[in-house]
Amino acid sequence: MENYDVAIIGGGSAGLAALQHLSSLGKQAVLIEAAKTVGSKNISGGILYSKKPKNGKVFNVEDVYGEQFFHDAPVERLITKYILHTTSRDKLYSIDLTSAHKYQANFGYSVLLNSLNSWFAQIANESAEKQGGGIVPGVHVSNILFDEGKTVIETDELKEFGVKAIIAADGVNSEVADLTGARQKFSPEELYQGVKVVVKLPEDIINERFEISSEEGAAHLFAGDVTLGHIGGGFVYTNRGTVSVGAVYHYDSLMSHPTEPHELVDALLDNHLVREFIKDEVPIKEELGHGLSKEEQLKIRFGASKLLKTWDDLRTEFYSVRGRRNLIETGKYKSEQEIKARLDTIYHDLNTKYGIKFSTDYVELEYSAKLVPDGKRCRMKRPFLKNILFIGDAAGRGIFIGPRIEGLNVGIDDAVRAANAVSRSIERNNFSSDYMGEFYTKSVEESPYTRDMREIDKDYLKIFLDAAKGVPKDIIGSRYGTIIRLMSSGTLRGLAVGFANMLGYDRLLPLVESEETYVQVPTELAERLGRLVSATYTPKIMSISQRIANLQYDDDSVSHIRIIDSKSDFMKKMVVLCPTKCYSSENDEVTLQHEGCIECGTCARETQWKHPRGEKGIAYRYG
Amino acid sequence: MASLRVAVIVKMEPDFSEGNVSYNSDGTLNRAETKNILGPHSAIACRAAFYTKVIYGAEIYVATMGPPIADSALQQAQLISNADNLYLFSDRIFAGADTLATAEVLKTGINMIQEQGKKVDIVFSGHRASDGETGQTGPQTAWKLGYTFLGNVISYYVDIENRKIRAKRLISLQGFYDIIEEVEALLPVFITVDPLYKANYDTITQRLAFMKHRKEASKKAQDYKQYLNVLNAQQLGVDPKLVGLPGSPTIVYKVEKIPKAKPTRRATMVDGSDRGQIVELATKINQVLSGAVVE
Repeated sequence: MENYDVAIIGGGSAGLAALQHLSSLGKQAVLIEAAKTVGSKNISGGILYSKKPKNGKVFNVEDVYGEQFFHDAPVERLITKYILHTTSRDKLYSIDLTSAHKYQANFGYSVLLNSLNSWFAQIANESAEKQGGGIVPGVHVSNILFDEGKTVIETDELKEFGVKAIIAADGVNSEVADLTGARQKFSPEELYQGVKVVVKLPEDIINERFEISSEEGAAHLFAGDVTLGHIGGGFVYTNRGTVSVGAVYHYDSLMSHPTEPHELVDALLDNHLVREFIKDEVPIKEELGHGLSKEEQLKIRFGASKLLKTWDDLRTEFYSVRGRRNLIETGKYKSEQEIKARLDTIYHDLNTKYGIKFSTDYVELEYSAKLVPDGKRCRMKRPFLKNILFIGDAAGRGIFIGPRIEGLNVGIDDAVRAANAVSRSIERNNFSSDYMGEFYTKSVEESPYTRDMREIDKDYLKIFLDAAKGVPKDIIGSRYGTIIRLMSSGTLRGLAVGFANMLGYDRLLPLVESEETYVQVPTELAERLGRLVSATYTPKIMSISQRIANLQYDDDSVSHIRIIDSKSDFMKKMVVLCPTKCYSSENDEVTLQHEGCIECGTCARETQWKHPRGEKGIAYRYG
Repeated sequence: MASLRVAVIVKMEPDFSEGNVSYNSDGTLNRAETKNILGPHSAIACRAAFYTKVIYGAEIYVATMGPPIADSALQQAQLISNADNLYLFSDRIFAGADTLATAEVLKTGINMIQEQGKKVDIVFSGHRASDGETGQTGPQTAWKLGYTFLGNVISYYVDIENRKIRAKRLISLQGFYDIIEEVEALLPVFITVDPLYKANYDTITQRLAFMKHRKEASKKAQDYKQYLNVLNAQQLGVDPKLVGLPGSPTIVYKVEKIPKAKPTRRATMVDGSDRGQIVELATKINQVLSGAVVE
């Protein structure tokens, strides 16, 4: 049997940071990832933050990857604008929360995880190779055995191998946690379900629409009637040449009155402001060459789709500073005018030769979903078992405080702490719970992120109170009237927050995270004070089957999910709550078709749920 | 010094994949419009050779006979196999070669490599070409080299110390087409690789080596000309009478168009939104399956 010092299970942002940091400390580690290529099963909202907390220290992405992060990492845009919109049909009331976004932050970049994690993987793999380790993609861990002081990892693809320590970074649906019994599966009260679509939009158009420069980015948040009565909200983040549109909701709120997850993102896409944000000139897909022979039809369609692709590619380049520069520098075109002229010619040809018409709509590239752990409720208080350390989502460590959603940076901070603990243990050859697990737990407990999961930060709260100064007190309602009055004065705020923190999040959260906060108050606010925004078109929102058809799968013949009780209430709710409608119900029994599964884990709680075998299942292109 | 040396012989072929291939109105291949690529069976041979790189750290040579543009096929071969050296045997006098004349050039090329003091232990080839389909060039080269020939290999293991190879071959026997025969042979051998060939990298160490070599291969292939040797007839020292048209005992006299097969089945479109049509379909399936269905 082969032996390695450390196995990191899961190649998301956290696992990769652990590999990079351990390797930089001169330790040997192998990272096992189920996806065929690292990054292709990773999903995020997403904004990647770097933080500078007022007390204590966190380990940021640039601490792990160094200066090259700023030079080479494929991040999307530096978020410079952060605005909350409350909605009521076509009315909108907006509050600028940029100061909340900038609070204790060095920066926040919008990111697409597929490309970013592949970059992290490239760097981390190079470092790991120098220590005799590296990344092993396409392998799914199926079991972990503790045998006479040895820790043995079994996989679906490889011969078993022994390790001294494990860092579990296998996400919110951690199989390592499940296999070893390190923690219970998360319950709906502890989770959020997020659904996101990536929308294509040329760079220059994004700049103009969102009133930002190429070096800037915008984040727009939504609450009010777009939530369809659920606790949570929507977001629109600008990427370089795409826009992420997503909805994040309390899982138990979805359970209490089930709504199909895509409806929540569809409600957002249908919002008048969002419609205007993402609109573009889109060719109308019609059957070309009607009445012609089969062969002629094929010829025309082939020609048209080829030309459409040329038009689309050239247009994307033309509407971006780098793209234009690149086209001219490589000598393909002499000037911007020449590119424009070529674009016009193609447009004209599409119209006259093939009869292709254009209309205003939006272009959706990718649909995705994931569960997000709410660290306030479900973080592992002791994130280890024997010689296994849990980090990031696997340890339930996501930050959800009002509009503040952070996971990537928390996972990276955990990763460094876990890597430090493991490295220390390697040096002493002591992997006992007392020496390694407890050390890691102490380090994580000291992390400012853990503090944020434990108690209210009164300075952060003040930002919201200041931002919401214009809001009439009576809208906020009798329930919050006293709180607001208390919070408006500096001294009293200190006392109130102190008192609230004594009560603890457990008792506080049901009050704050309620339908009133997320739905009723914002809706009324927009209704009474909002401005009218009316969109110029109605988007043709993709159906779920179209969305699934657009995704890439390597389908496994064997299902990775097994229903335990096909008649349970939980399973009946899955018929509605599965983001890709894998469940259907007939004669009071729920059946599963795993082929469209995007591995979000929404159904994991009451099923035998595993990730698919190595290389199998979903492969996202954006993430 | 590598303990194992292997050569792969490959062929540049038209890309027959959908959307890339183009035909003339008479149904023959439009060579001008169709891109050339490394043949799919050659690619499998390269994969088989890559296994020796990953597991045994072998030194790999890839060779082809073809026009100057065939260097792009060698580049693709290098990307797959992480080859150390690429050989293109290119000369006008090679034109019109049949399988035997081609084998003569390839044999001479491989022997030339060996004369530089580099004994080639295994030669891999695809089991046929997608444009010629004869499946002869490989075996004929093996015969000319005097190597033990192993056809239709689906997996293998090399015992470096004892200079032996153990290979699984897919054969047909007494009317069965999926018989696996396991053979052992002394090196050197000539292997034609079956399309069902599968490499097994089943330990962490092998997977890490696999990833490392794949990365190295893509780096090398970007700069493939640095590894490329182009040799003409004279440099190779072939006998002009044995290559090209003069060396070919066979010629392609005529290519007949394959007649379109008469359809034996008929497809009917079913509108999924029409319940009536679905019921009709279900009834038909039921009729066909009657007796085979267990409640």
